[in-house]
Amino acid sequence: MPLSLLFYFAALIAVGSAILVVLNRNAVYSAIFLVLCFFSLAMIYLLLEAYFLAVLEIFIYAGAIMVLFLFVVMLLNLGREKALPHFMKFQRALSLMLVILFFFGVSLIMVVGSGELHQPTIKFSSGSVYALGEALFTKFLLPFEVASLLLLVALIGTVYLAKRKI
Amino acid sequence: MTNLQSLDLFWPELIITVVILTALIVDLCIEKSKSDVVGWVLVIGLLITAIAIWNQDKTTTTLFTDMIVLDPFATFFKLLIILSTLLVAVVSWQNNELDEYRKGEYFTLLGILVLGLFLMASSIDLIMVYISIEVVSIMSFILAGYLKLDTRSNEAGLKYVVYGAFSSGIMLFGLSILFGLTGSTNYFIIQKSLAGLDGSASAALVMALLMILAGFGYKISAVPFHFWTPDVYEGAPTTITAYLSVAPKAAGFAIIIRFFHQVFADGGALADAESLSMTDVPWPEIIGILAVATMTLGNLVAIQQESIKRMLAYSSVAHAGYMMLALPVLSIQTVYAIMVYLVMYLFMNLGAFFVVITVKNKTGGETFDDYRGLGWEMPFIGVVMTLFMLSLTGLPPTAGFIGKFYIFSALISGGSQYYWLAIVGGINSVISLYYYFHVVKVMFLEGERKETLVQPPEVMSGVLLATAIPVFLFGIYWNPVVNWVQNSLIFYVQTM
Amino acid sequence: MIVPLEHVILLSLALFSIGVFGVLFRRNAITIFMSIELMLNAVNLALVGFSRYYDSVDGQVFVFLVMTLAAAEVAVGLAIIIALYRNRQTVNIDEINLLKN
Repeated sequence: MPLSLLFYFAALIAVGSAILVVLNRNAVYSAIFLVLCFFSLAMIYLLLEAYFLAVLEIFIYAGAIMVLFLFVVMLLNLGREKALPHFMKFQRALSLMLVILFFFGVSLIMVVGSGELHQPTIKFSSGSVYALGEALFTKFLLPFEVASLLLLVALIGTVYLAKRKI
Repeated sequence: MTNLQSLDLFWPELIITVVILTALIVDLCIEKSKSDVVGWVLVIGLLITAIAIWNQDKTTTTLFTDMIVLDPFATFFKLLIILSTLLVAVVSWQNNELDEYRKGEYFTLLGILVLGLFLMASSIDLIMVYISIEVVSIMSFILAGYLKLDTRSNEAGLKYVVYGAFSSGIMLFGLSILFGLTGSTNYFIIQKSLAGLDGSASAALVMALLMILAGFGYKISAVPFHFWTPDVYEGAPTTITAYLSVAPKAAGFAIIIRFFHQVFADGGALADAESLSMTDVPWPEIIGILAVATMTLGNLVAIQQESIKRMLAYSSVAHAGYMMLALPVLSIQTVYAIMVYLVMYLFMNLGAFFVVITVKNKTGGETFDDYRGLGWEMPFIGVVMTLFMLSLTGLPPTAGFIGKFYIFSALISGGSQYYWLAIVGGINSVISLYYYFHVVKVMFLEGERKETLVQPPEVMSGVLLATAIPVFLFGIYWNPVVNWVQNSLIFYVQTM
Repeated sequence: MIVPLEHVILLSLALFSIGVFGVLFRRNAITIFMSIELMLNAVNLALVGFSRYYDSVDGQVFVFLVMTLAAAEVAVGLAIIIALYRNRQTVNIDEINLLKN
């Protein structure tokens, strides 16, 4: 199936760019690779029939959040991260090992655990903007409103923290 | 209930929302030097909210299509949160640390923090759980870094935001696995489909639970998710430290109790909540060990501190441990004990932090050196602080003793497998005696005696009395608290 | 579904682990935030997968709200970083250690 091949292709790009985000010393490059990662995730959302979320992923993450990151990185004029002192190397190796262990442990659990999750549903009706909008304004109205209030107050707090004048 | 019907039972939250918006608008219209006015808006608004909660119908029902519940259990926590916010708001006027800054945003953020805590205490949906925890977290990040000219406050904010975002990410992954296993975000549906799950999924379920526990544990600063606590508590404005050590912790316990009782206890009802079904994992042991680690670490590190503010930070970690001791015994009696403890803890911990604020306003410092001979110079502060220290240790006749008494008796009535928890808790109380009495010793037995007496400002004395009197009174006559808790022990339970 | 659910979950888990690793590995506060964004995106992916699997819109609403709150969280975090940078000229969390005994 060509479509499933597309999924694996996007997955490969996502994982590759995610690794580059984490390993890159230069924060600007990290941000650019993060955008790439978000775009491939948006593609995967499309393949999983979450159309509205695919658009949102690009709008919010690639559009708003990444611009914010790049803006701050350039505002603060950050150069390359300094190399770490020697004794830290051990700590880094340890964290890498722990994370790999975590990954394999959890993937084992998930694959073994989701024994009954096999048969894929055939018909899918929930991906449309209509369905999402309806749920958002009926069943999930309260979280939606609380989130809007939070955004307002977070905006005020952010302006307060970032402006120079007291 | 549908969204429109729910509005009728949602008055307290609606009032708070109006208060927040009013505070914002008022703040726009006044100059910096008068920004204390916004505090009045908040205090009056909170009083009206408290009245609204008090007069609410005593029904138990779900609101907003099963997003949150209204039940006496949630109401109890709402009143607790309002009480602590009121005390902290009043003290914030007196806190010299905030003098250089505009206070309008400060009070507004406190207002929305209250709303977030309300939702935390009453949510029964994974989405609502996540949103309410995030509202509280994001507002706390800003408040911890509120003193933006002070590097220590900046640092507290940054550490809080990094640890907070990290642990909420982990919690979110746990929530998503739980959603994946059950196909719903509603507590009761999750509970029902978990009961029907076969054994092959239990490993994934345990994984999800551990991750969710990370998020909750971070809110109540339990080991091993406590790393942020000392640094944030030390760097944040002291009023915010006091607030963070009480209100979010109370709401954190509310969310833990509701989650574990309604999702994992059999039938969601507490009547037969003897065992956690579905999994063979030793949950009581895991939580018991975490509780023991939390209080032991808190107490042992608190001994080594030189700053009283930091010492109190570790001591609040230890107190979270005492309350967690009761969690493994999933019975109605332990919930009862935790709630009694939270009431007592609110007064004694807030009081201790308020003393720190008073002393810092006068001497500008918060280390043990600044407290030398203070008991003779400011006798009122000395006596009140001694009372709080006695209570935090858990000695009679103070409120702290009653709190500990209820926790330990709940443990002992839970059965012989919990005795060791009670014993470790007792040993820990003895350890804590050392550093709490160090404060008393420094205040009364060290430094030269000054002849001139210094009086704290009237408002401060009033607030200190408002915390000290309950600490003393509830140590002798605790029936009102116990009755109140008893009447609040009603959960919303869905029978399907 | 075009691919088995397990593959979606595995991809999500891989991204999540990379994000966790980034938080532990990097010392630059801004890169740490990017790693946290990776973690949140991994969760979103898992939720979208589950939502597709169960044919339920709940998971997608969850993703929608996670995106909103992530944006707020990042904005606040970056504001704190700017405030800190103004006073200390560093974003390296190893050098930020005034609060220690």
